[in-house]
Amino acid sequence: MAHIHLGEGSFPLWALALWTALGIGLIALVTYRIRKKGVDPSRIALAGIAAAASFAVFQLNVPVWGGIHMNFTALVGILAGPLLGTIIALVVNVFSAALGHGAIGLLGANTLVNATEVIGAYYGFRWLRSADWDTFPAAASGATAGLAAGAILMAVIIVVSGVNNSALPRTDLAIAVAGMAGLNFGVAVIEGLLTGFIVRFLAAIRPDLIGDEAESKRTDATGVNA
Amino acid sequence: MDRWKQYGSFLGLVVAFTGIGLWGFTATGGALPYGKRFAKTVQRGVQDGGGPLVDVGRGVVIAGPIRQGGLVLEWVALVALLSAVGIGLYVYVDRTRIGGGGSR
Repeated sequence: MAHIHLGEGSFPLWALALWTALGIGLIALVTYRIRKKGVDPSRIALAGIAAAASFAVFQLNVPVWGGIHMNFTALVGILAGPLLGTIIALVVNVFSAALGHGAIGLLGANTLVNATEVIGAYYGFRWLRSADWDTFPAAASGATAGLAAGAILMAVIIVVSGVNNSALPRTDLAIAVAGMAGLNFGVAVIEGLLTGFIVRFLAAIRPDLIGDEAESKRTDATGVNA
Repeated sequence: MDRWKQYGSFLGLVVAFTGIGLWGFTATGGALPYGKRFAKTVQRGVQDGGGPLVDVGRGVVIAGPIRQGGLVLEWVALVALLSAVGIGLYVYVDRTRIGGGGSR
């Protein structure tokens, strides 16, 4: 659930330019890959639903760890894949910033952070499944690891950029931001568990939605399929 | 892979990350909403604090900027729009797909 919650003007101009350029570069690469490889229409439809779910939950503050919000970016990654998932991360951040939740100037940085969660969760899940892990531990572990990677990137972006009007020297800022990243590790466990349960449920009733061939074969063999 | 190894590895991840999360929780001021915690931490640095990890009485609330900015209706409308487009696309794809199956 990593997300840089700072207002406009918090980062110096060079940092804004850098993270925005990197964000645009990532989106350009993803768009190129989608155009080149094409994408399954059903995946686009699923991506639309995933975007709605992610955007909705993004704005809900749950009373755990002092009050946090989840992103469902790991779930988006596992369901929609890394390419469409990255586009969803951008869309959710644009809509959120439009409503005042997150700065417009930080769209590039926040898209990079959330795309890292999407990509990390997707490849973590696929890698663990290929190592013959069950769906739940693979999804929960992949999601938790992906979200933790996003938290680390969030911390790196803030420390590298520095924060305007902060009284903290860079080393103290690094320690403070490490605390924020640490908190996000705890949140990643909760979101990872939730993602694991949702993916396990979907794998049981519609394994095609997660593109899980092993699960499809298993459910076909047992006849437990909706 | 053995199931106990899978769940054991996952449990190890949960324990380690929860421990790091607890450290982060106290080091960044304790029971504070995420937005306030973020602003205070980057401006003033590490400040120990406590408070409940789960505050059921606070309930699930809409993010401060949306609630205080009077944009709840817009948020609901956007969620409804995205849901309608997503579900509409899904139904369309499901009905028009040859064989009607669920291949990726």
